[in-house]
Amino acid sequence: MSSNHYFKHEGPWSDAGDPLMCTDTGDWRTKRPVVDKEKCIFCGFCAIYCPIQVMVMQSDTHFEANLDFCKGCGICAKECPKGAITMISEGEFVS
Amino acid sequence: MAEKKQGRLTKVLDYLKHDDPFSKGVAFCPGCGLELLLRFIPRVLGNDIVITGTPSCSAPVLLGQNNQSWHTLSYFGTLMTGAAANATGLVRYYRKAGIDNTVVCFNGDGTANDIGFGNLSGAAERNEPFIYICYDNEGYMNTGIQKSGTTPFGATTTTTPYGTVHRGKNLRRMNLGLKMAMNKIPYTATATLSDLEDLAKKLLKAKEAKERGFCFLHVFAPCPTGWGADPADTIEICRRAVKSNYFPLWEAENGRIRMTKTVKKPKPVDTYTKLMKKFNHMTEADMKILQDDVEYEYCLLGGLSVLEAECQLPVSVKDQGEAS
Repeated sequence: MSSNHYFKHEGPWSDAGDPLMCTDTGDWRTKRPVVDKEKCIFCGFCAIYCPIQVMVMQSDTHFEANLDFCKGCGICAKECPKGAITMISEGEFVS
Repeated sequence: MAEKKQGRLTKVLDYLKHDDPFSKGVAFCPGCGLELLLRFIPRVLGNDIVITGTPSCSAPVLLGQNNQSWHTLSYFGTLMTGAAANATGLVRYYRKAGIDNTVVCFNGDGTANDIGFGNLSGAAERNEPFIYICYDNEGYMNTGIQKSGTTPFGATTTTTPYGTVHRGKNLRRMNLGLKMAMNKIPYTATATLSDLEDLAKKLLKAKEAKERGFCFLHVFAPCPTGWGADPADTIEICRRAVKSNYFPLWEAENGRIRMTKTVKKPKPVDTYTKLMKKFNHMTEADMKILQDDVEYEYCLLGGLSVLEAECQLPVSVKDQGEAS
């Protein structure tokens, strides 16, 4: 959360200082995006088209989804020009 | 290796200059086009914009719940019948108080085209200096997928079902963007989510044109839940809508229409409609009506863009911006 300087006109009743609401949207996911680091050409299409904006730049080489909030819609896998992202069922990650 | 990869980064990221004001886990459906648009606007225009909006899919998130909020933007929730009128009040307050601010009136197609159209029309006539953004998901999605004025011909919704009597919506959709362009307001544009660079340019242009008066943006934002589409296809739906001329991209300054993206060989509309369940029942005859409708609208738009370029603009319209 960045600075709240634009709330200076609001009254003392404001809850602007409270932490933001956040749902555990990662819990909705049935499929998980897995990035192939070799195939990734670092174009950033997955990052701009992700509705939740969870694709994070990893040391200027590839992108990785923040799985705490990824809803598993699969837009990143569909839009990747190199097919570097595959959607894998969550069941395979259950240990 | 790392430097080489850096050069290929998409240009859209250059437009995202500001922080994302929304919290990460926000209650929108997976693959929602609205969520992408809503996160995109403050990242391009800045976090100091004031959003006004109505009960819609965006309201549960923009308005917040109980005593907490989902974002750090300033938001003013209004009724659907008075969206543009309330934004007018806000703009006039800011002008009187001497605060330089961007007011964004963010509504769905139900408010913009049906319920709140009187206000919108009035604000356009008075040339109020704010940005009106209509996200078009072709129906009242928040209340359970009812039909609206922009729902296309043949689409099934809960109020225009497919069965033995009815075959989806039997009326044609309205062209909201063209309606607003005819008001000769300083800036009107249509945009969609598959071309985010174009959307960012139009947003920045609208912010600039806002100084001269009313700006209207019509953004095509698919609703995977309501349309029966795969959430992964959201961007592909937008792309095919543009490529089949179902939703052409254009902008109009003072009513002068200019195409921002021309498709050389338009694809048939069924390349777009087959991605969704809401058009599943369409026969060839139905599809022909939709195709003719799309072609007619595009033809009209093309003709207007040529005519407006040839015609001399009246002086009074040119000076309208500076006078107000």
